[in-house]
Amino acid sequence: MLTFAILLPFTAAAALAILPLPTGASRGIAIASSALALLSLIVVWTRFTPGGGFQSVQELPWIPALGVAWRVGVDGISLPLALMSGLLFVSAIAWPMEREVNARQYYAWFLFLEGAALGLFLTLDLLIFYVFFDLGLVGMYFLIGRWGHGDAQRSALKFFLYTLAGSLLILLAIIALVLITDPLTFDMRALIAIQPVAGMDVRAGLILLGFVLGFAIKTPLFPVHTWLPPAHVDAPGPASAILAGVLLKMGTYGLVRIPLQMMRETFATYALAIGIVALISILWGSIVAFAQENLKRRIAYTSVNHMGYAVLGIAVAGSALAGQEAARDLALTGAVVEMVAHGLITGALFLIAGAFWARTQEYELGRYGGLAGNAPRMMATMGLASFASLGLPGLAGFVAEVQIFIGAFAVWPWIAAIGLLGLIVTAALFLGMLQRIFFGDRPPALAGFADLSRVELGILAAILALVVLIGVWPAWLLDMIGAGAALAFGGV
Amino acid sequence: MLFALPLFPAVIGLLLWASGDGPRLRLGFWAVSAAAVTLLLAALAAVQNWVGGFVWAPGLDLRLALTPLSAVVAITVPAVAMPVLIFAAAHEEARGLARLLGLMLVFCGAMQLAVAADDLLSLLIGWEVMGFCSWALIGHHWRDAATPASGRYAFVTTRIGDLGLFLALMSTWTGAGGLDYAALGRLEGLPLAVAAFGVLAAAGAKAGQGPFAPWLFRAMDGPSSVSALLHAATMVAAGAYLLARLQPWFTLAPGWSGSVLALGLVTALAGGAVAVMQGHAKKLLAASTSAQMGLMFVAVGAGYPGVAVAHLVAHAAFKAPLFLSAGIAGNAAGSYRLHHMGYLRALPWVAGLTALSALALAAVPPLGAAWSKEQIVTAAMHESLWLGTAVMLAGLLSAAYAARFWWLAYGPGGATPEAEPHWCEILALGAMALACVGLGILWVSPVQDALPIRLPEALSLETVVSLALVAFGLLAGLTLARRENTAKLQAADWLGLPALIDGGIVRLFERFATLAARLDDVVLDAIPRGVAAGAHYVARGGRRAFGLMQADRGLLDAAVWQVAAATRALARLGESLGERLADGLPEGTARITGRSGADARRLQTGLSHHYYAIFTIGAALAILLLIIGSL
Repeated sequence: MLTFAILLPFTAAAALAILPLPTGASRGIAIASSALALLSLIVVWTRFTPGGGFQSVQELPWIPALGVAWRVGVDGISLPLALMSGLLFVSAIAWPMEREVNARQYYAWFLFLEGAALGLFLTLDLLIFYVFFDLGLVGMYFLIGRWGHGDAQRSALKFFLYTLAGSLLILLAIIALVLITDPLTFDMRALIAIQPVAGMDVRAGLILLGFVLGFAIKTPLFPVHTWLPPAHVDAPGPASAILAGVLLKMGTYGLVRIPLQMMRETFATYALAIGIVALISILWGSIVAFAQENLKRRIAYTSVNHMGYAVLGIAVAGSALAGQEAARDLALTGAVVEMVAHGLITGALFLIAGAFWARTQEYELGRYGGLAGNAPRMMATMGLASFASLGLPGLAGFVAEVQIFIGAFAVWPWIAAIGLLGLIVTAALFLGMLQRIFFGDRPPALAGFADLSRVELGILAAILALVVLIGVWPAWLLDMIGAGAALAFGGV
Repeated sequence: MLFALPLFPAVIGLLLWASGDGPRLRLGFWAVSAAAVTLLLAALAAVQNWVGGFVWAPGLDLRLALTPLSAVVAITVPAVAMPVLIFAAAHEEARGLARLLGLMLVFCGAMQLAVAADDLLSLLIGWEVMGFCSWALIGHHWRDAATPASGRYAFVTTRIGDLGLFLALMSTWTGAGGLDYAALGRLEGLPLAVAAFGVLAAAGAKAGQGPFAPWLFRAMDGPSSVSALLHAATMVAAGAYLLARLQPWFTLAPGWSGSVLALGLVTALAGGAVAVMQGHAKKLLAASTSAQMGLMFVAVGAGYPGVAVAHLVAHAAFKAPLFLSAGIAGNAAGSYRLHHMGYLRALPWVAGLTALSALALAAVPPLGAAWSKEQIVTAAMHESLWLGTAVMLAGLLSAAYAARFWWLAYGPGGATPEAEPHWCEILALGAMALACVGLGILWVSPVQDALPIRLPEALSLETVVSLALVAFGLLAGLTLARRENTAKLQAADWLGLPALIDGGIVRLFERFATLAARLDDVVLDAIPRGVAAGAHYVARGGRRAFGLMQADRGLLDAAVWQVAAATRALARLGESLGERLADGLPEGTARITGRSGADARRLQTGLSHHYYAIFTIGAALAILLLIIGSL
């Protein structure tokens, strides 16, 4: 079932690349296959037992000599992320294209990217993890470069090279990590159980550094986040939504899966440093976002802030080998919820930003104003997403942040207390954004501004309904995550 | 079951909002009925001791329960909301009325959640949703750019206080392993102090105390009915309620009671002084709210939370009609400048009813508010003589600004109103004014004995002195009002506090954020730009492929080839960059650590062959998948 979810988008992408189909048919195929992939993930979910380790596992030998195999499976961390990604891909694909050129290739690349993203979350083989990590870059590179606007090619290239540098570090670290095992294996489950670098000297620290730096670029964390704003600004709306919603999660997911789970001891040694970097990201991301006059740059920088929360949660979870289990559980659960919530919320925000671009070709906040009258649906969806993003209770972001903060306070009270300041700045910047777009006087040029279409509204409603559901009744999601099992897996 | 109390008004409110604008009668009917049912629910819940529990997250339950104190507030909220909603349905602009009434109901629901909360998480949820409602309601007239800005100011200011609640929550969980109020009893030492002072910050922010007072002024940009609800029944009142509710646990925190007392007293005196100087009808009342909340803080600090809640109820009864009345006068005058008013002759009924409410604000017996204020004086007197005297002075100021408000707004000025109030507005005002009179029952001693609260022992001498000061205050207020010159006093704007906050915090932060953004673009981005400059040189070779891609000649046959060529070019690029990094990074790292440098280098360089092999596999796979398309 999981293999199907990964290969279906790839196959459909290939079909679209080869067959000379008209636009409508390409779009239909793309929506159908992404929906099918999501459906197969939902089937996996119905069979999922929370807290039961890796499930729905499938294994096919590939390169036995190197211990490489096609291994797929899900646990409480990857399943919610895969489901969220599946939903976001359906949404982004169904979202109307900004520029209707080369529709067939556009949908092909989206499906290609979906295959890579789902593959990354679902695979249990480190080498295949890496391959999908890089394929994701390729897919996004083309989506930004070919269907973006402004200085798209330059932004795409910057995005590609910057994150590729990160993935090289990861590759080096993967190889260093795997070479220690004997017999050689790339099996994640085995690596988690063996803890290859336990009790090792400075080399363990270097391997950790490779992983953390590589994933930090992808996440992105301060100070290696500067590829993010240009990539977002010049990307088409749906690609931005995927970039923020899914691709950034590859960084935090990798951080949980590899350094946190496979290198427990080393991670615990350096957890405080990672926590401090996360704290700086929280504050820096929000402060810099506050000063942005460009709608997309503003949302992009809040991603740095939110991913800072997620990484703080991860750092807390790995802060010790024993003791504070309840707090660490809470923090890790919070971190996973943050990934899901941020995916949905920021995905929605970028889709809406795309809708603005499609109507006005303008991201400067100063050019907007008074649109609440013209576009009440846009106001409602963007308002809801903004309040979710600033952590209003009853919406998904709060669920994540409150758990991360409670967990973090138990371990590092000062970091948690200082991190709270991020809540103020995000509140100020989102309210300021809403105010400048929707309230006050409407510039004459915007008199004919059209509200969300039915398709756009339907997509956003689906995403935001989930944001509200998680916010009001988070127990089902938290049960699925069952962070305690993830922490305990491998026998701590 | 108790969850019905917050959920019912909130859900009906959302439905009402979604139903869209319509006839006033329909909207008003639904809103007022919802408030009436909420009142019924609150009464039932209080009598039948309802509780509520909901597993929100593993280990984090939401619990609701009512104590005698909270039951009183839970009943007060919808009781005040009903007349306010009647007034709003008749008074406010027809455009956006559904949103206004709907959000006011949601506001009440959030308040009920905070009131009925039996754990800090439920409290925080209700608390912050109230913040959202205040933002939306203050900015109700969004076409005027200034009002949403005021809403944002209110939200952000109160959220700064909310951080205290976050701190309290985190500290309680860490110190006691749970979030229910009972867990507060297990706290001691530093965690207790963090929780106690955190809650004080949150309560102080909502109640407009000390440095947080200016947001109440900005909140005056909202419609009058919103102000009435905000000050009397929700949000602002929530601050005083919360302290009263949690006081039993926090008195053990060293310095807490003293801080509550000091904060309340300073605000009571400063707020009184500001109100005496204010020339804006609603801002005068807003400063008065800060001052009255300050008196409630004093009661809590002195150890009498029951007295604080009694004054909260009395305050709700007189502050709501005063705001409604200010709304009527504001409509009549076309602005809220007190000097343009004076409607005794034109609006005698409104003037009379307002007079009753103003007398309650001035704490003139036999009105109920006078009783609760005297209780606070007595409680403060138990603490110390100078404290009691200071509270009496605050009482004098209340009397002075109450008299001044009434005289300027509804005195014999002889102004001609631009608009006359609807009879529904007068009805709402009348109901509230009658409630002020009805609360006079609190002076009857059997009633006092029946109250479930601890009262301080009163001395007759201090009551006499206090009442004499009130009388003096009334006279002073009338004198001031009659001699009023129209010059605008700088100090009337919260003694210059807003200007200080604006220049010292808001502007400073904006400048800092701009600087940070520039740093981000210039300095932090320099790292990759340096790398990119190097890569640019290498990239020249790949330019041709990119050039083709840019041109995008639209040849369907060429598309596949383009993709493949570009992928290959990228692979080459990646390799070149990889070479630099693979050599440069480990070497640098090794030098910095200065340990096992040679070891590390050998390890890494030995691996680059693997890397190239695997990267090629990755790139090839990309091409294969796309071109051949099957596995």
